[in-house]
Amino acid sequence: MDFRFTPDEEQFLKEVQAFLDEVLPPDWLGVDPDGHNEQADEDLHQFDLEIRRKLAARGWLGLQWPKQYGGQEAPMMKRFILEQELIYRGAPYWAISAALMTGDMILQFGTEVQRQEFLPRIARGEMQWCIGMSEPNAGSDLANLQLKATEDGDSYVLNGQKTWQTGAYYADWVILYARTDPNVKKHKGITTFLVDLKSPGVSMRRIPQITGHPAFCEVFYDNVRVPKTNVLGALNGGWGVALFGVATEKSFGYWLINSGRRDLQMLIKYCKETRDVDGRLLCQDPLIRSRLAQLAIELDVGRNLGMRLNWMATRGMPIVATACQLRPLGGSILQRLSHIGVQTLGLYGQLDEHSEWVRLRGRMKYLYLASVAMTIEGGTNEASRNTVASVGLGLPRG
Amino acid sequence: MDLSLTEEQEMLWKSARDFLASKVPKTLVRQMEEDERGYVPELWKEMAELGWVGLPFPEQYGGGGFNFLDLVILLEEMGRACLPGPFISTVILGGMPVLEFGTEEQKKAILPKLCKGELIMTMALTEPSAKYEAKAVQLEAHHDGDDYVLSGTKLFVNDANVADKMIVAGRTAKGHHPPEEGVTLFLIDRTAPGVSVHLLKTIAGDKQCEVTFDKVKVSRDDVLGRVGHGWEIVKKVMELAALAKSAEMQGGAQQVLEMTIQYGKDRVQFDRPIGSFQAIQHYMADMSIDVDSARVSLHKAAWMLSEGIPCRKEISVIKGWLSEAYRRVTAQSHQIHAAIAFTKDHDLELYFRRAKAAELYFGDADFHREIVAQELGM
Ligand SMILES: Cc1cc2nc3c(=O)[nH]c(=O)nc-3n(C[C@H](O)[C@H](O)[C@H](O)COP(=O)(O)OP(=O)(O)OC[C@H]3O[C@@H](n4cnc5c(N)ncnc54)[C@H](O)[C@@H]3O)c2cc1C
Repeated sequence: MDFRFTPDEEQFLKEVQAFLDEVLPPDWLGVDPDGHNEQADEDLHQFDLEIRRKLAARGWLGLQWPKQYGGQEAPMMKRFILEQELIYRGAPYWAISAALMTGDMILQFGTEVQRQEFLPRIARGEMQWCIGMSEPNAGSDLANLQLKATEDGDSYVLNGQKTWQTGAYYADWVILYARTDPNVKKHKGITTFLVDLKSPGVSMRRIPQITGHPAFCEVFYDNVRVPKTNVLGALNGGWGVALFGVATEKSFGYWLINSGRRDLQMLIKYCKETRDVDGRLLCQDPLIRSRLAQLAIELDVGRNLGMRLNWMATRGMPIVATACQLRPLGGSILQRLSHIGVQTLGLYGQLDEHSEWVRLRGRMKYLYLASVAMTIEGGTNEASRNTVASVGLGLPRG
Repeated sequence: MDLSLTEEQEMLWKSARDFLASKVPKTLVRQMEEDERGYVPELWKEMAELGWVGLPFPEQYGGGGFNFLDLVILLEEMGRACLPGPFISTVILGGMPVLEFGTEEQKKAILPKLCKGELIMTMALTEPSAKYEAKAVQLEAHHDGDDYVLSGTKLFVNDANVADKMIVAGRTAKGHHPPEEGVTLFLIDRTAPGVSVHLLKTIAGDKQCEVTFDKVKVSRDDVLGRVGHGWEIVKKVMELAALAKSAEMQGGAQQVLEMTIQYGKDRVQFDRPIGSFQAIQHYMADMSIDVDSARVSLHKAAWMLSEGIPCRKEISVIKGWLSEAYRRVTAQSHQIHAAIAFTKDHDLELYFRRAKAAELYFGDADFHREIVAQELGM
């Protein structure tokens, strides 16, 4: 047993850390506290683009892909190291990760032409992607999706609606799931498409999230034509593609845990520097000590499981059950963390980030709101537990 | 990174599991709860012959030369089997401090016998204040010529009823020192004049004792480590003990999870296995998260220890986590088993009681949270 990175991986980690020291502002608190209007969203997007270009310049997008498609053929562990470090430091990463995930799927299911067309562009940081799965009546029950794709000559014609499309407003392309055969079992009539969002007939409406951040979009497809060459994987094989996608989104629980580590460190630092009315440092308050230490324990335990998950993935072991264990664990820890964070700041915890009295720039208030989604997005806690029970524990289906 | 067990560890794990499954039926576990000694001497001998008792000690003292991670793997299986007896007491509380802090004479006198299964040991640390803290060591040890004379009471001493030798923490200096200074450890035979041992009845039926010292004479040669510096040793040993206990807890939790999954498949209500009810599935998924995440953290701490990497925090992380998780898992399992396990005939109750006792041993979750807080610089 050895929990260490290899010297090569260790070296890479240092490079990534140095990179982030260079590209992130010194007082960077993480992506979002400020993101509660469209201008802030635009600023964030510009910053995201800048980071993406710099990552691409280093050759760090699609690290583990074959060289012929713009990758570096690096070991998977390096991709994980890069990813977890970006997340830990709170670099804008969501859109980048959606692109990389799509790239992984194109590598797995795509035709040679699709690989050549899309992967090098993703690796150069030129393409932003979003994920088109959910619909008003297809959430956890993804197979219930209704957006229709009808064959017409050398194209398919899309009609219908997607919802909760994170980042669609700034995305160039979407990896979209649509119904191609309504006459078979729900999950057997779905096909995956790569769709240019500038196609005629696509329209969207931004939806502000609970934090004020307008990251969601509703996307409408009105007779949108997609060439057949943009079908990803087999016709009516979309369910298999979706399952693979969900499995590559595996690190979401670990994602949460790594971002939580930074938030906890921030909170601990605050408690080491701030005194209560008796002149005592907050970190000397036994209740606060105990709460923060408990969060540290939980994050450590979650992080260890996350390391195991990554290691399993590099060994080609089945990871879905472990990934689904990590999700509820990570999401629930982050919700406790944000709750305790606000509580620790006391009355200050509720302040808007623009108040002159604000503490930690409103990060804890923001996190308290944002963490509501952390047990929902990318599959709810309940959906994850269902998978753990059936795939991991082998329990009979209900 | 390589998070798999070595072939040797796999073998140790499997052979431990098979051996304990055949030699430690639950009838024996229950019998030992009622037994005055609480262990089976013949089985102890066998375990010594298998090399288990001497596992982490160097070969020159008759040990197996294995590392702490190997020991943790063995302890997991002991926890799974609810093995009764003075294993942690002898190996961790007794043998480890002798190995690390004893003189060559002490090591030669004690360790080979211990490894052969001929010497049972323990540490007498806690007192009626029931705290694992330096200031809780009040037992008087004063100088008398070449000897020390010890008087006072130790409480919750594991396996003192069968220990041949115990390491006793006494206070040799009082007054204005910080409490960490002035603690001295003494090697004392249980049969020494003035030592008396009374068994306590506990929730887990393990053997904890009240040990009283009535003017017990100890020679200077039987001081372990340096006079006045015993707390440094205790601190180290408590870390090892917390980790060892965590390993036992992990094995117990693992067994409870497996039993519960099996029950979920077997028990039928409303014409279907209860494991197909989503409420039950989610309980079990949560149990598996508790257990599986703990195991990586346990192995990480044990691996760090084996590699000589400082791991005070990691040990407290796992003991802090398992102190709650093991209890949570057994309680949840009771809910899933319902009435059948609310009986003395069912195995689950053994684990439920042990989980609570184990939580309290070598620092509960509050205790370890405080260590984590310190390690984070708070
Ligand atoms: C921040 C955020 C970002 C998102 N980004 C995207 C995106 O980019 N692209 C995209 O396509 N989608 C996205 N989503 C949507 C997300 O995938 C869905 O919200 C999620 O799958 C749950 O679907 P739902 O919200 O419709 O809830 P529902 O499926 O309606 O669930 C409602 C409740 O019922 C429970 N439930 C449902 N089915 C079961 C079951 N079988 N067993 C037990 N309980 C069940 C759920 O756990 C939940 O508690 C995002 C969501 C959020 C919150």
